[in-house]
Amino acid sequence: MLVVKERLFHPLLLSPKPRLIYRGSRANIHDETENMALKGTKTYPCCFKDRSHEELVSCVGWTTADELYSCSEDHQILKWNLLSSETSLVVKLPEEIYPIDLHWFPKTVGVKKQTQAEVFVLTSSDGKFHLVSKIGRIEKSVEAHNGAVLAGRWNYDGTALITAGEDGQIKIWSKSGMLRSTLTSQGSPVYSVAWGPDSDRILYTSGKQLVIKPLQPSAKVLQWKAHDGIILKVDWNSVNDFILSGAEDCKYKVWDSFGRLLYSSSSHDYPVTSVSWAPDGEVFAMGSFNTLRLCDKTGWSYALEKPNTGSVFTISWSADGTQLAGACGNGHVIFAHVVEQHWEWKNFVVTLTKRRTMQVRNVTNDAVDILEFRDRVIKASLAYGHLVVATSLQCYVYNSRNWNTPLIFELKEGTVSLIQQAEKHFLLVDGAGLYMFSYEGQLISSPKFPGMRADILNAQGVSLSNDTIAIRDKRDEKVILLFDALTGKALSDGKPLTHKLEVVEIALDQCGPSTERKIALIDKNRDLYLTSVRHLGREPKICKIGSMVHSMAWNDTANILCGIQDSQFTVWYYPSAVFTDKELLPKTLYIKDGSEFSRAPHILSYVGTMVTLRQGDGSLVYSSVPPYSTVLHEYSTSARWEDALRLCRFAKDQSLWACLAAMSLANRELTTAEMAYAAIGELPRVQYIKRIKEQPSKESSLAHMLLFSGQVKEAEATLLQAGLIYRAIQVNIDLFNWERALELAVKHKTHVDTVLAYREKFLKKFGRKETNKRFLQYAEGVEVDWEKIQAKIEMELSKEREKAANASVRSSVAARR
Amino acid sequence: MAKDPLSEAGFYFDELNKLRVLEPDVSQKTSELKEECKEFVDKIGQFQKIVGGLIELVDELAKEAETEKIKAIGARNLLKSVAKQREAQQQQLQALIAEKKMQLERYRIEYEALSKVESEQNEFIDQFILQK
Repeated sequence: MLVVKERLFHPLLLSPKPRLIYRGSRANIHDETENMALKGTKTYPCCFKDRSHEELVSCVGWTTADELYSCSEDHQILKWNLLSSETSLVVKLPEEIYPIDLHWFPKTVGVKKQTQAEVFVLTSSDGKFHLVSKIGRIEKSVEAHNGAVLAGRWNYDGTALITAGEDGQIKIWSKSGMLRSTLTSQGSPVYSVAWGPDSDRILYTSGKQLVIKPLQPSAKVLQWKAHDGIILKVDWNSVNDFILSGAEDCKYKVWDSFGRLLYSSSSHDYPVTSVSWAPDGEVFAMGSFNTLRLCDKTGWSYALEKPNTGSVFTISWSADGTQLAGACGNGHVIFAHVVEQHWEWKNFVVTLTKRRTMQVRNVTNDAVDILEFRDRVIKASLAYGHLVVATSLQCYVYNSRNWNTPLIFELKEGTVSLIQQAEKHFLLVDGAGLYMFSYEGQLISSPKFPGMRADILNAQGVSLSNDTIAIRDKRDEKVILLFDALTGKALSDGKPLTHKLEVVEIALDQCGPSTERKIALIDKNRDLYLTSVRHLGREPKICKIGSMVHSMAWNDTANILCGIQDSQFTVWYYPSAVFTDKELLPKTLYIKDGSEFSRAPHILSYVGTMVTLRQGDGSLVYSSVPPYSTVLHEYSTSARWEDALRLCRFAKDQSLWACLAAMSLANRELTTAEMAYAAIGELPRVQYIKRIKEQPSKESSLAHMLLFSGQVKEAEATLLQAGLIYRAIQVNIDLFNWERALELAVKHKTHVDTVLAYREKFLKKFGRKETNKRFLQYAEGVEVDWEKIQAKIEMELSKEREKAANASVRSSVAARR
Repeated sequence: MAKDPLSEAGFYFDELNKLRVLEPDVSQKTSELKEECKEFVDKIGQFQKIVGGLIELVDELAKEAETEKIKAIGARNLLKSVAKQREAQQQQLQALIAEKKMQLERYRIEYEALSKVESEQNEFIDQFILQK
C-alpha cells in the first residue's frame, strides 16, 4: 500500500518546526488515497505497484540515495527504486533462510574508490550469515552461531565483519568470511552491536547492560547498566561519538562514549525496537510500535509520527542523510524524508518546504521567494548575506540581495556533509575532501593533510575565517591543523598548533587583519584558551581565558567572543586583552545570569548584537549584548581614539573602559590607555604608563610596554637588540632576577658594580647574607661606590636620550626628503 | 300392518321401491356416517396443511432469529473492539498532542526570550535618547 502521509522531520538548526514526509509501501492505490485523506496536506506521488512483502519485514539497507533493499520473512529480497517508484524481486531465498539483519559493505575506503562489486551481509535465523551480491547471488554462506545470528555489521573501512548471535557470542570475520576470533561470549543473546568511530572498539548489548569492548585483548572493557529492560538496539555515530540505545523499558537514551548519560526519553507505550543515527550525527530516528520519531542529537524530539506500520524493526538512513527507510512488522517498508529545516540570518528565514523547494522570507517586508532545485537538497547554510545550498549534484549560491539568479556549479562528489561560511568564501566538505569556494563560485583551494578523513569532520572540529582554516586532527585530538584559506597550504611551515589536552571545540575569530588571527579552543577539561594563529618564529602563547565553558561563538562583525561559562552567559568583549594585560581580562567581561536559560544551553550563532542559543529541551532562546563593544572595536581598528573615549564616557560602563584600556595599550596608544586605566581606578598602571611615556627612547618605552604585559624575555631582547645594555640589566634588577642581571653585566663587561651594589642594598634590607657563589666571586674584585654608579647611570640615560633625539632628527630629515 | 314376509326374509323396499337387504334406517345412518367421515378427513387434511405451514414459518423465524443473534454477538464484539481501537487511537492522538504541547512550550519559551530582548532593546533606545 502506498501509505502516503505527510509530516516532516526536521533536523538541526533554528526554530524547531519539524515535519516528516513519509510514504509507505505496498501496492494498493485505494489505500493510498485513503491515507492521503487521513493526513490532508501535501502528498507524494509515489506508488510501489509491482510487489510487496507478505510477511514481517526484518531489515532494510540503502545502496544509493534512491535505491533500497529489503528482506522479509517471506524469504524475498526486494529492491525499491525511489525514482521510478518500482519494486522488483531481487531473489527469493531458500525456505530455510529467515533473514534477520542486513548491512551493505561500506562504499568508500578512505579516498580511493572501492572497486569490488557491491555485496551485503545477510544474517539469518539458522545460525548462518551470507554474503550476497547486488544481483542477489549468495556468494558465501558461513555457519556462525548456535541459534539465530541477530546482527552483522561491517566496520567503517570494510576490513572486518562482526556478528552477534543468540548464543551470546560475538565473532569477528575477515572480509571474505573467515573467522578471525571470538571476541566475547556471554550467557544471554546479544541483540545488537555497533562499531566505534575508529573501528577499534565495539559496543554490544548484554541484557540490560551496554558493553564497550576494545578489540585489543588487554584494553579495558567499559560496561554499565543502561536500561530497566532488555536493550534491543544500539547505534554509535562516528561523527559525534555518541551512543544510542533503545530497550524494552520503552525508552531510548543517548550516551557519550564514556558511558555518561546525556539524555533519557520519557517512557513510550511500546518497546523501542529501533534506533539509528543520521550519518552526519545531527539527528537520529527512533522506531517503536506504530511510531516513528526524529530527534536531535541532544535527545529532544523534532517530530513524532504514528504511521500504521506495526513495529519498526530496523531504520536505515541513506548516505546523504536526507531520507530514511523503516522495516515494518506488518510487511510495509516506510520511507521518510527530512524537510522543514530552517535557517535564519538577520531578517531572512529560509525553510526547506519540500525536498526540492525552499522558501525565503524576508521578515522586514514579508516578501517571499520560492527557490526551486533540480535535485534533492542535502545541506544548506545561511550566513554573511549568502545562502549556500548543496543538492545531490550541484551547489547553488544565492546572494541575499537577489534571490532570483543563483550561481550554480556542479559538484564532483555527491554528498556534501558540511558547509562552513566566512565573509568572503565558504568551505564545502564531502567524503573526498575539503574545498574552499568564493561566493563567485571559484574553487580557491583544497587543503589536504595526511590521514584526512573528511567524512567525519563536524562543525566543532572545523573553523573558517577569511584567511585561515583550522581543523582539529582526528588522529591526535590535541593537535589543530592550520591552513591558509587562499592557498590551502599549511600555516607556519606545516607545524600544527598543539595543545596540552584533547581539544573539543575550535573557533577562529572573523575580523581584523590576518596577522592577528586568533583561535579560541575548548579542551577536554572545558577550559577556554586563546592563541594566535599566525606567528613568526616563537611558539605562540596559549592563554587560558575561561573555565567550565560549554559552548562558544565569535561575533560576525567584531572580535567579540561569547560563551556559556559554568551556568553564566559570558561575553569576552576583548579576549585579546589576555595578551596585553592579563589582569584586565576579568574586567572586560559582560556576564549575564544563565538561570534564565534552563538545562545545557548551546550557542548557535552570534550575529550583530544577538546571540541565539538552544536549550537542552530544544527551545530557542535569544540574548542581546549591548552594542557599544562592537562600536568600540570599530573605533579601535580605525584608530579613532577620541571617539572611543567619548563612547566610553557616554556609556559609563567599567567593562568598556577596561576594553579600551587593553585595546589602546595593544595599539601603543598611551594617552588613551592612561585615561582608560584611570577611569577603572587602576592607579598603579596609570603610573606605569606615565613612566613609559617618560622613557628617553622608543626602544626602551617599547620594552616597558612589553614588561607591562608580562613579556619579560621579549622586553629584554628588545633592549639588548637596541644596544641598551644597562637598561636590560636594570630590568632584571627591578625584577630581582639577580643571576640574569649579573650574567648580562659580565657578558657585556659593564655595570657589574651596579648589579653588585643593588644586590648588596637588597640583602641589607632583608638582613640576609650573600650565599650565591657567583656574586661572592665577583664581589671580591669589584669595589662598590654608589656615587660612581649613580654618575654612570646618569651618563647612560643621557646617552640614550641623545641617541633617540638624533634618531628622530634623522628620521624627520629622511621624511622630508 | 301384517308382518311383511319380505321383512322377515330380510328384504326391504326403499322409497324408490328398490329392493334392499339393509334396513332403510341403518342405510341412511351409514351414509350419514360416511359423509361425516369424509368431512372429518377433509378437515384433518386441512389442519395438517395449516400446521405444516406454521411449522415452516416458525422454522424460518428460528433461523432468522439465529442469524440475528449471531449478528448481535458480532456487533457486540465489534463494539468492544471499537472501544479498544478508540483507546489505541486516543493513545496515538495523546502522544501527538504531547508532542505538540512540547513544541508549543518551546515556542512559548522562544517567544518569552524574544519579548525580553525586545524590552531590553526598547529600554536601551529610551536610555540612548534620554542621554543624548
